[in-house]
Amino acid sequence: MGREPLAGPVTLAVVDDHPIAIDGIRTWLSRDPLGRVELVASGATIESVLRGPGATADVLLLDLELHGVMVIDRIAELCAEGRRVVVYSGHEDAETILAVLDAGASTFIAKSENEQYCVDTIVAAATDRPSVPPVMAGAYLSDTRPQRPRLSDREREALLLWFQSMSKESVARRMGISEATVRQYIDRVRVKYAKMGRPAPTKTALLARAIEDGLIQAHEIREYRSFASDPEAGP
Amino acid sequence: MTGDPTAYVAGRYERGSSVAALVIAACWHVGYDLTATVTNWSVYRWPAAVAGAWLAYVVIGVAGAHALLRTRRTVTAVWGFAGAALGIDVIVLAACPPGEMLGPGDWPWGSIGWLGVILFWWRRGPHELIVFLALNGVVMLAGTALNGVLDRISLARFLMVLVGSVTLQLGYSVATHALTSAARRAAQLSAARAEAAAARQVAEQVHADRLSRYAQVRKAAAELLTALADGADPADPVLRRDCATGAAWLRRLIAETDDVPDPLVHALRACAYDAERRGVVVSLLPRGTVPELPLDTRRALTEAPLEALSRARSEARVTVFAGAGEVVVSVVADADDFPIRRIEGVRITKYREGEVLWVESRWPDR
Repeated sequence: MGREPLAGPVTLAVVDDHPIAIDGIRTWLSRDPLGRVELVASGATIESVLRGPGATADVLLLDLELHGVMVIDRIAELCAEGRRVVVYSGHEDAETILAVLDAGASTFIAKSENEQYCVDTIVAAATDRPSVPPVMAGAYLSDTRPQRPRLSDREREALLLWFQSMSKESVARRMGISEATVRQYIDRVRVKYAKMGRPAPTKTALLARAIEDGLIQAHEIREYRSFASDPEAGP
Repeated sequence: MTGDPTAYVAGRYERGSSVAALVIAACWHVGYDLTATVTNWSVYRWPAAVAGAWLAYVVIGVAGAHALLRTRRTVTAVWGFAGAALGIDVIVLAACPPGEMLGPGDWPWGSIGWLGVILFWWRRGPHELIVFLALNGVVMLAGTALNGVLDRISLARFLMVLVGSVTLQLGYSVATHALTSAARRAAQLSAARAEAAAARQVAEQVHADRLSRYAQVRKAAAELLTALADGADPADPVLRRDCATGAAWLRRLIAETDDVPDPLVHALRACAYDAERRGVVVSLLPRGTVPELPLDTRRALTEAPLEALSRARSEARVTVFAGAGEVVVSVVADADDFPIRRIEGVRITKYREGEVLWVESRWPDR
């Protein structure tokens, strides 16, 4: 998983076939008052970016559609190499998002919401911490696959309100809980998903970090039960 | 379900052929079996037992007919009835003197196959009917053999009657069931074709609408790009606003992947379109499959969100989530406040945070 980040700014490589989009991302990064993320490589193809300094970047920001071709099937291989991949795309349907996350991507940012969440999400991904932007919450909510994890009612409610795009603060107020608890609910959903499907170094790192941060206990990984194993529990 | 043409068509065929099976069995039993009983009255060792067997046949037949036409299910304890039918075989066989075995007086063994056809009508596949017919053959063969009259001629007669009756009974059952499933399949195909035609028409309409919106967005984009090329200032807030609106509009059109939008989403989309034309940046995110809702419920669900969307000044995020038996519509927008009308069956919540108004409606209200 490369070097331990946050010794300096997070290093970022961007793959996007539109130079203007890369310019836009550079602008967002420069707007971050803390200057937490540094763009070290960018290009129109995965290969061109990985050839240079992009090869050792902390996070790879990947546009899902390059020159008209969807690159979902490349994500698993990139993650297996130990890269932290953050996908951003205009294809925001649940099926695409779930496939991207199953393949091991750290997180998904929809193009309609990227400026708001871009820097925070990249920093979270670099530290293997969960990050669930609203559109991704919507994808988790509408997951009907039998292998989906079981979510508690509170977790579902937090996801739904977050998907509707209220601030976490107002989600907390509506649910009558603290903002930290809202974060915890949403992050726990992310962790539950990291436990399912094909293993990837990114998923393992996320789980390890979740245990270190006290978000889950080590034994909870084994106790995980999917919805499929308990048909009694409603979706 | 009376509205399902498939079930209706298949049901008609099913009923027709089952009534025909009953008529055949009844005619056979009255026309042939009764005649044989009466004409051989003096031949039987115990004529009263044969008369009882004839009546038992009627009782089993009536029970089978009731199951066939009224309950449309296999009669309870079907093998009990089948066993009783085979008992008729044994009784009449025993009542026949050795010379009459397999003769005209020994009527059950050619006719109880029809009881089998009736009793096993609702079973899947002909397996049980075949077993029943085979048992009938075994009973007859064993009875004949026990009486020591199983010579070449009676064996030939046995095979002849066996082939004759089994072919008729089994053939009838299999053929009518095949006919019924063919009718069902034909009805299914024609229903599917009608559905596909309807879906295609709607999809064509949606496509045409989308093309016309693309044309409008193209025009707007071309105007913006021309203005930029002619040296308009990108720092101009009005120009930036227009660019943002155009981009959101394009993005939403690209995200529209459903060929046949759900009516609820369709209503929201139409309103989103109006808002976009006013310069509002709208993102519309439908998730999950909205179940079929009564018109009133749909209206109740969308009323408050549509109001909020129509009052949005510059930005609106519209989400629809359907799943786990509920539908939740929400709008977050920089809109003025407005009074909420309470509507039965739908829970509407409004929440304001500074400039931002959030309106959510949920069905069912629980």
